[in-house]
Amino acid sequence: MHRRSFLTAAAGFGALAFTPEVVLAAAANSGDWTLGVADVEADIAPQALRLVHGRAPAGLSGVLYRNGPAKFRRPGGSATHWFDGDGLIRRFLIADGKASLTARFADTPKRRIETAAGAMIQPGFGTPAGAAASVSGPDDVNAANTSVMAAGGQLWALWESGSPMAMDPDTLASRGFHTLRPDLKGMPFLAHPRVEPDGRLWNLGVFRAKAIVWRLAADGALEAATPIDLPRASYVHDFTATERHLVLVLQPWVHEKMVAPLAAGFAWRPERGTQILVLDKADLSKRRIYELEALSFFHMGDAWETADGTISLDICASPTPDFAIRGAEAILKGDAARIDVGVDLALITLSPDGRARLERTGLLAEFPRADPRFAGRPRAFSVYAGGTPSTHPLAQGLTVRDWRRDRNETYDFGRGQIAEEMIFVPRPGGSAEFDGWLVGTSLNFAAKATELHVFDARRVAAGPICTWRADVALPATFHGAFVSRV
Amino acid sequence: MTPAQLTLTAFAAAAIACYKPYPAAAQTAPVALTLAFEGIKAPKGAIMVAVYDSEAAFDGSGGKPVRVTVVAATEARVQAEIRGLVPGRYGVKAFHDLDGDGKMGTNPFGMPTEPFAFSNNATGMMGPAKWSEAAFAVGAESAVHTIAID
Repeated sequence: MHRRSFLTAAAGFGALAFTPEVVLAAAANSGDWTLGVADVEADIAPQALRLVHGRAPAGLSGVLYRNGPAKFRRPGGSATHWFDGDGLIRRFLIADGKASLTARFADTPKRRIETAAGAMIQPGFGTPAGAAASVSGPDDVNAANTSVMAAGGQLWALWESGSPMAMDPDTLASRGFHTLRPDLKGMPFLAHPRVEPDGRLWNLGVFRAKAIVWRLAADGALEAATPIDLPRASYVHDFTATERHLVLVLQPWVHEKMVAPLAAGFAWRPERGTQILVLDKADLSKRRIYELEALSFFHMGDAWETADGTISLDICASPTPDFAIRGAEAILKGDAARIDVGVDLALITLSPDGRARLERTGLLAEFPRADPRFAGRPRAFSVYAGGTPSTHPLAQGLTVRDWRRDRNETYDFGRGQIAEEMIFVPRPGGSAEFDGWLVGTSLNFAAKATELHVFDARRVAAGPICTWRADVALPATFHGAFVSRV
Repeated sequence: MTPAQLTLTAFAAAAIACYKPYPAAAQTAPVALTLAFEGIKAPKGAIMVAVYDSEAAFDGSGGKPVRVTVVAATEARVQAEIRGLVPGRYGVKAFHDLDGDGKMGTNPFGMPTEPFAFSNNATGMMGPAKWSEAAFAVGAESAVHTIAID
């Protein structure tokens, strides 16, 4: 059955695909880390991956979807910010001990307009509008480049300020923006939904100091969409949740002006500190606000809550939003000296007495993931990209942190590799936290190839159980999802 | 994308409620303008049309549409005939009233949820199209102006 759907996919878009040589030729600076932000010129036809290390573990079967920007430059003008490239959705199928790769761009209005113009003209997060920009709503600038999620029988490519792009989960053919209800057309849907262990999903859409709280059933059907007011117009990329609460960390990077690009309208106001808004899932009008020192961030892990009501969450905190503004521009220019990722992994604890505490670990780590069976519940483990010294501005290794025992276990891919987000996949039949595998990609820029790795989640220092290598080097991704197949 | 800029609700209300009749003592012989709307994906509801003869009225800073009309959106291409226009420059705003409530639908953040379009197929930049891009000339002869909507 897997093989059949794979072949269908292969037959479906052979005509659209370019050969690997074309992709490699497009890499402006092959052989160094900037291959991580190179352009991909066309969709990638299904290809088998070559096993270069170990053997696939029995019982691991499914699809790893990854999303990230992969087209930044056009003859008439280029994106100036990493977050504004076109989303390339990659599909890594693991079945019967073998792996294959297919990749396809989300077919967005932005990509169509810019292909026709031969220039990146639509304003983005950090890229200014070109003279011929055409924007009648948020989805006209939607790059669909941040993450993916399975919803019913579809795959959604997620952005942050617009609608999910529905795609065929096998062929990756775009089916158009998904509207959850006609009167909610065009409402933003963050790229970081929080999924309860039974599949119910919570997400936010944010516009200045207003938000909508989305609640979806496990099959992607809308259960509720509740507008709420926020205490400030903070930049919100991610939020987190416990079993009973939604937790919104509102950094003092505040939306003050409606301008293009979006980021230019935000101002850093550290004197206002960070506010943490905690909402009761059962009654969103019940809220509590905690105060914390000023910090900036993109990502948090799944929060947990103990019996006395104490809420804990891991957060990849930065002292300022410098990376969001300047660092992500410098990355596209390959200007390593101007990139300060500046992330310090920390734990935020919200006590029942109303106090909030921030404890830093000193680890430079990003892209947190945890065991989805424990989402919102007391848990120990998180996995991150980073946490090891790097010879380039992005991550070079991965770290599993045990928050209970204050222990880190790391693996360094070595120079010449960009480590990406790892996703935990439970071992069939197992139930203990982190009993399973970490599945994720790296860009081996020294070998000019994207690699797919599987680790034992409890023994990452031992290195990958197996590694496959593609014939193509695809740029670095942001986030992904694993869909198990039994 | 300021909701107020994107929202054409006010336009819709104004368009339905009032317009000024064409001048009885026009200096130039009135002509008919046919507005053709094409690309209609959902054959239901109506295309709500407002025709303006000045920048101030078009951008909402003063004045009203000179004509409004409603065309049933029964097929992929429908037409509206606007009679008795004085030759000059005009701009058109239209939206597809899919749910038949007479208003341009907006989501809770004020973004339009029903398709809209402007003459010259002008598109806005984080807001409605500008008069300078949407305005077109109506001469002494009857003419057809085609607008893609949906």
